[in-house]
Amino acid sequence: MSNKAARSKAEVLQGTLDLMVLQTLHSLGPLHGYAIAARLEQVSGGALQLNMGTLYPALMRLEQRGLLRGHWGTTDTNRKARFYAVTPAGRRQLAEERHAWDRMAGIIRTLLHGEA
Amino acid sequence: MRIVREWTQRLQGTLFPGRRDADLEDELRSHMEMAADDARRRGLDPDDASRAARIQAGGASQAMDALRDQRGLPWLDDLARDVSHGLRTLRRTPVFTAVALLTLALGIGANTAIFSIVNGVILRPLDYPKPEQLMYLTTEFPVLGLTRNPLSVQEYVEFRQINQSFAAVGAYRTMGGAYTTGEVNVTAGNRPLRVRSISVDAQLLNTLGVQPAQGRFFSEEETDRAGGLAPPLAILSSELWQMVFGGQPLIGQTLSVDGRPHEILGVMPPGIDVMDNRTAIWLPLGLPAAIRQDRSLHILHAIGRLKDGVTAQAAQTELNAFLENWAERTSSSGHVPTNRPSREADHTLQMQPVQDAMIGDARRSIWILQVAVGLVLLIACANLANLLMARAESRRREFAVRAALGASRSRLLRQTMTEGVMLCVAGGMLGLWLARVAVQALIRAYPTSVPRMSDIAIDLPVLFFALGVSMATGVFFGIAPVAQGRIHDLVTAFKEGGDRGASGAGRHRIRRALVVTEVALAVMLVTGASLLIRTVYNLMTVDAGFDRSRLVTFSMTLAEPYDPDTRGPAYQRLLDKLRGAPGVQGAAVMSGLPPNRSPEAIPTSIENHTASDGSPVEIIDYYQFVMGDYFETMGVPIVAGRSFEPADAVSPGRVVIVNETLANRIWKGRSPIGQRVRPNLSAAIGFGDNAWHTVIGVAKDVKQAGVEKETGTELYVSLDQLAMAAPTMNVVLRTILPPAALSRTLEQLVREVDPAVPIVRLRDMESVFAESIRRPTLLAQLLGAFAGLALLLAAVGTYGVLSYTATERRREIGIRIALGAARSSVVALVMKQGLQLTILGVVVGLAGALGLNRLIASVLFGVQPTDPTTLAAVIMTITLVAAGACWLPAWRASRLDPNVVLRAD
Repeated sequence: MSNKAARSKAEVLQGTLDLMVLQTLHSLGPLHGYAIAARLEQVSGGALQLNMGTLYPALMRLEQRGLLRGHWGTTDTNRKARFYAVTPAGRRQLAEERHAWDRMAGIIRTLLHGEA
Repeated sequence: MRIVREWTQRLQGTLFPGRRDADLEDELRSHMEMAADDARRRGLDPDDASRAARIQAGGASQAMDALRDQRGLPWLDDLARDVSHGLRTLRRTPVFTAVALLTLALGIGANTAIFSIVNGVILRPLDYPKPEQLMYLTTEFPVLGLTRNPLSVQEYVEFRQINQSFAAVGAYRTMGGAYTTGEVNVTAGNRPLRVRSISVDAQLLNTLGVQPAQGRFFSEEETDRAGGLAPPLAILSSELWQMVFGGQPLIGQTLSVDGRPHEILGVMPPGIDVMDNRTAIWLPLGLPAAIRQDRSLHILHAIGRLKDGVTAQAAQTELNAFLENWAERTSSSGHVPTNRPSREADHTLQMQPVQDAMIGDARRSIWILQVAVGLVLLIACANLANLLMARAESRRREFAVRAALGASRSRLLRQTMTEGVMLCVAGGMLGLWLARVAVQALIRAYPTSVPRMSDIAIDLPVLFFALGVSMATGVFFGIAPVAQGRIHDLVTAFKEGGDRGASGAGRHRIRRALVVTEVALAVMLVTGASLLIRTVYNLMTVDAGFDRSRLVTFSMTLAEPYDPDTRGPAYQRLLDKLRGAPGVQGAAVMSGLPPNRSPEAIPTSIENHTASDGSPVEIIDYYQFVMGDYFETMGVPIVAGRSFEPADAVSPGRVVIVNETLANRIWKGRSPIGQRVRPNLSAAIGFGDNAWHTVIGVAKDVKQAGVEKETGTELYVSLDQLAMAAPTMNVVLRTILPPAALSRTLEQLVREVDPAVPIVRLRDMESVFAESIRRPTLLAQLLGAFAGLALLLAAVGTYGVLSYTATERRREIGIRIALGAARSSVVALVMKQGLQLTILGVVVGLAGALGLNRLIASVLFGVQPTDPTTLAAVIMTITLVAAGACWLPAWRASRLDPNVVLRAD
C-alpha cells in the first residue's frame, strides 16, 4: 500500500519537480543533490521535503533526457559529491516550461478569482 | 524527442548499465553524510543526527530500487531475470525438464506436421493464376451411382459453345480404353523410360492460364485435328527436362514417345500439373472420328475458367438451366445430359472448384488427423499443467515468501509464465524439427497417398502455426499453477507445511478435472483409431473374388511399331515362355488390373434386351480383355457354364463370359448361357469388329475399382480368340516365388520377346491390394500412433496425479497402517480414487466419441461408429491401462513403513 501511495505522490510531483530542479540549477549554478533538496526545502519554508527515492530518479531522468549533466566533484566541506549542471538543451526546456507554467498559472488564477 | 532519447538511454542502461550500482550508492551515501553533517551542525549528537538524516532522506535501498528502475527498462530487466531464473530452475530439475520437453516436442511436432499437410493441401491456393476461377466439370450417373465421370466429346463441345459464364473451357484425357494409358514409353539416349503423360487440347492450357517456360504450346489446329492419331508433338515438364535431359536445350529436337518420333515444342514451368496427374509429358489430344461422334463415350475431363466477376453459383445456375433442355438447345439427341435422371444412362453435369475436386475425400481424412493431433496436444498440455502444478506446490513457500516481500501477483504470474513459454519455445523448436523429419519421411514412404503431396512443406504459415501453438501452450499451462491461487496467503502456506496435513481442496479439483479430461480425450482418440483399424482390417479381408495369394503381376507396353495384330502373337509368345519358367504354375494376360481399375462405362448391344431407359445399348462398366488361362490363374471361380478354352481360339463362334452382376442385371435370374451380346470393341480397345458373341459362362464377381466399392458389371472378352492385344497389358503369374526372386527371369523372358520393352510395376498381388487401400491404411496408422501417444500421456498423467495425492496422504496412510489397516485395503483406497476418475473420463470420452461420429463415419468401411465390440474393446483397453497407472502408486503407498513416515515430520 505505502509503495503505491509513494508512487502516486511522485507522479503528482514529477512535472513540477523537473521545473523546480532546472530553475534551481539555472539560478544557482551547478549543485549536488543534497544542496538541491536543501534549497527547495528552504524556498518552500520546509513544506517540500524530498527524499532520495524521489529526487535522484528525477535527476537521472533529466540527465537521460540530456537536460542536465552530472560530474563528480568536491564540496566546500571537502566531501565527494555529484554536481549537476544545466545543459543548453536544459536551458531551452526551462524557458519553454516556465512560459507554459506562467500561462497555465494565469489561466488558473483567472478561473479561480474571476479577474478579467 | 526527449522522451525518445530517455528511452534509448534506458535501453542502453538495461543492456550496458552506464552508471554502476556502486556509483549510485556513492551518491546516495554522500547525500546521507551531508544530511547528517547538517543535523550535527543543528546541535544533535552523532547518533541522533544520522537517525534524523535517515528520516529526512528516506531509505537508501528504496531509492536504489527507484534509481535502478529509472536507469533501465524494469520489465526488460525482470524478463532477463525471469529467464535466467527459469533456466536455473529448469536445470536443477532435469527429469522434469526432459519429460516436459519431450511431451511438448511430440505434441507440437505432431500438430505442426499435420498442419503442414492441412496448409499445403487444403489451405494453399493452386499454382495457377486466379485459381479460384477454375472449375472441374463432371458427369454424374445417379442411378448407376457413378460420380465424377468424364464428359463425352459432344457434350464438351456443346458446353463450350452455349455457356456464358466461362472465359475458357479446356479438356484433357489421362486414361481411357487403350489409346492413352496415362503412361508412355520415352527413350532418352539409349534408356527406355516410362513416364506419366496427359493428352490436352489447346484450350486447356489457355484455361489454366500457364505459359510455357520455353518454346510454345500446341495450337488449336494441332489438338482439334479430326481423325487419326494426334500429331507427333510433345511438351516436357520442367522436372522431366531437368532430371532426364539435364536441362539441355531441346526445343525442336525429336523424342521417341511410344516408338514414334515426336517433336519437342516446349518445356513447362516447374510445378505445373493438372489434377495431380504428376504429368511428365504433355501430348496433343487426338480424337478419332468414331469417338468424337459417340455421345455415350465419356472420355474427356473438362476444366473451365470463370469469367471475371462471375461466381461459381451463377455458373452452376446457368448450367442447371442448360440441363432443362439440353437437347433442344444444342439440337442434339440421344445420350444427352438431363437434370431429371431416372434411368441408368441418364446423367447430369456438375461443377466443383478444381482445388476441391483434387483434394476430394482426402479433405475429411486430413481434418480428422488435425483434430486428433489437437486432442493429443490437449492431453500433453493437461499433463504439463499437472507437472507444473505439482512443482508450484513444492515452490509454494518460495512464492509465499516472495509475495510477502512485496512481489505482486502479476509479477509471480509473469515468472511462471516465462518458464512455461521458455519450455514451449524450446519444445516448439524440437517439435518443428520432428515435424520436418516426419513430413519428409511421410512423403518418401507414401508419395501418392495424399493429393498435392509436392505442395507440402514447412513454410512460413506453418512456422507461424508452430510458433502460435507453442506460445499458446506455454501461456495455457503457465497460468494453471497460479490459477490454483492463494499464493498471497503466506500464513496458510506455512501452516499447511508443504506436504503435511490435508491440503486445499481446490487444487485437487483441478487435478481431478485434468485426469478426467485426459482419459476422456484418450478414449475419443483410441475409439477413432480402433474404428479405422477395423476399417482397414475389413478392407484387407474383403472377398475380392479371386485368390490373391501367390500371385505376381507386372505391366508392359508394346508400343509402335506394333499394331493390334502383331501384339497378340507377341503376348502369346511371352505367355508360352512364362508358363515354362521355373516356379510358375500359371500365367495370363489381362487389360485391367483389379482392384484398382478406372470405370470404362462402355455402351454395349445385348440381344433381345432394351436398357431401362429404352436405349438399345446397355452401359457395361468394365470390359476385361484376357489371354491365357485367366480364370484358373487368378483363381476366379466360374459359377455357371464354362471358362474360355484353347479350342475357342480356333473356333469361329465368338464367345464371352459375364460376371454375376451383369448376369443378374440383364437376365434377372434366367440363365445367360447361350445369350448373345455385341461387345463394343472399337470403343473399348480401339480395334476389332463389333460382332455378336455368345455368353458361355458366368464368373464370380471380382472387385474392380476399389475393394470398398460395389462391384460393377463386367464383360470378359478372349484375346486368344481375337488374336489381338492392346498396347499395355497386365501379366499375372501364379507362382510360389516372391517378385524379387522372379525379376531376373522375367526380364530375361521379356527381353527375348522384345529387348526394348521395360517391365513396369513388378509386385505381388498383396502389394496391389495394399496400394488400393493405402489412404485408409495411412489414416489408420497415423491415428493409431496418435492414439497410442494419447494413451501413454494419459497413463503418465493419471499415474502422476495419483502418485502425488498418495504422497500427500502418506501420513494418513501411515496412520491407517499403524492402526492395523491391511495393505490390500490401502491399495484399494488409492486405486478406488483413480478408477473413479477413469470411469468418469471413459463416460465423458464415449459421449465425445459419439459426438464426433459424423466426422469419422464417412471414412469407415464395414463398421459403425457405434460398433459395440469396438467400444467395449476401447473401454477394456483404457480401463486396463488406467488400472496399471493407478496400481503402481497404490502399491507403493501400501509398502509405506509407518515408522519412517510418522517420524519424518
